[in-house]
Amino acid sequence: MKRRSLLTALLSCASLFTIYSNRAQAKALESPVATNRLRPPGSVPEEIFPAKCIRCGRCVEVCPYRSIRMLDIRNGVHAGTPLIEVEHVPCYLCMKCVDVCPTGSLTRVSQEDTRMGLALVDKFSCAAWIGTTLCRTCYDKCPFPEKAIKLDQLKPVVETDHCTGCGLCTNACPVTLESGRKAINIEPIYSRDKVTL
Amino acid sequence: MSQDRGDHEVQPSLTRRIPYSTMRLVVLFGAFLIILVNPFINYFLHNNFLQGWYQSIGIGSLWFVSPLEGLESLLITKAVYMPSIIGMLIPLTIAFLLGRVFCSWICPVTFILELFDRFRKFITKKKYLHNKLVVAKRVLWFTLIAELVLSMVIGAPLFVFLSPPGLVGREIMMLVFFRTLALEGVLLLLIIVLELVTRRFFCRSFCPLGALLAWVGQKRKLRVVLIAENCIHCDICTKTCPMGLIPEIDEGCSAYCWNCGGCVDNCPTEALEFRWSPSRYPRVTPPSQIVTNQ
Repeated sequence: MKRRSLLTALLSCASLFTIYSNRAQAKALESPVATNRLRPPGSVPEEIFPAKCIRCGRCVEVCPYRSIRMLDIRNGVHAGTPLIEVEHVPCYLCMKCVDVCPTGSLTRVSQEDTRMGLALVDKFSCAAWIGTTLCRTCYDKCPFPEKAIKLDQLKPVVETDHCTGCGLCTNACPVTLESGRKAINIEPIYSRDKVTL
Repeated sequence: MSQDRGDHEVQPSLTRRIPYSTMRLVVLFGAFLIILVNPFINYFLHNNFLQGWYQSIGIGSLWFVSPLEGLESLLITKAVYMPSIIGMLIPLTIAFLLGRVFCSWICPVTFILELFDRFRKFITKKKYLHNKLVVAKRVLWFTLIAELVLSMVIGAPLFVFLSPPGLVGREIMMLVFFRTLALEGVLLLLIIVLELVTRRFFCRSFCPLGALLAWVGQKRKLRVVLIAENCIHCDICTKTCPMGLIPEIDEGCSAYCWNCGGCVDNCPTEALEFRWSPSRYPRVTPPSQIVTNQ
């Protein structure tokens, strides 16, 4: 094969890829962070997380609870980035991953100041709220009892000032909806922040 | 002059005891063993003394960060993070002094390809492979620039999840931790298949990390130097060079050489050798000039 024909072939492949994959492109750049899909503690906002993370996998390797999963190419440019699926294994805030991150994608924070997301009670499916049982599993499981989750007339209420978004409540919640969601879910509201550095 | 020549005769006999290719295979195997065993230690023994692979590896508190990954992260976020800069220092210093030795002596892809080479020699009984598709060496620089610019345009680094040396580590880790393989590992298969066409086809011109290390190591101290008066123009060095260089015309001193020592091993007349800082010795003069000087 001549050099010119090779380069032409390469170029045409690349251009074909860009034309045909307009839809795939949007998907390739789409963030995997969503309800109950969180970055490890101390992560920088999602705006720069995929740029900062070098996909070295050290956070995945040190996590003693195997909470952190590694994404692959099906998540586009987010391949290799860490993600915690709290309904499978929540984060126990041991902060080991934060200590080994070489790029500052996970910045050092204390357990109380971690904001992976915010727990939201779905009042239309929560057993305590709709009144089927006196369930208080999330209240019992919360690592910051009486701070992050309080009971208001035996119904769980989340305190925004103290909830770290670790997902222990979601993981323990006995109610699972058809969509896979729980009656208490972690919304990664802080990952949408703008970078303030 | 005669003293100089005496030196040349002594030096090779000292260095030739163990061929560089054997030493290199041992080092490559050791480097591969680290990333092979490391996930098992982390997963089953919960011992975190070693973490990561050749994108970023942590040995206790000593952290290494692969220079290209670190550079991409720095360029795209436009922010400096000191631990990552310091992690890049040792690899960059090694590249500055020794050249692209990471590629030839440590990279797990090279280890796989090196085994593949030996396997191919065993099957075909042919000593040399005819390179069927040769791309200009300069394409290497184009790859580096294109990779960096494209990453900066997209706003997400590309090499970090498509880097073959990193992929080997990631696949092993995924297998141990999640009993699955990452889909992007297809790239590794592609590289191995391309090896049937041309030796080190990917490494030669399409590895951005190799390009960065080569660029840093342009003025390296350790080089393969040609001693012109010993050369009998047998072309064996050209045939053995996995990078398709011609040591006979001093390409061992070019930026593209990765100091694997293949040509030094195979030279029948000991006309090639590793020299530290050859800039102090100007290019060895051809025999004809020596005659006129005397």
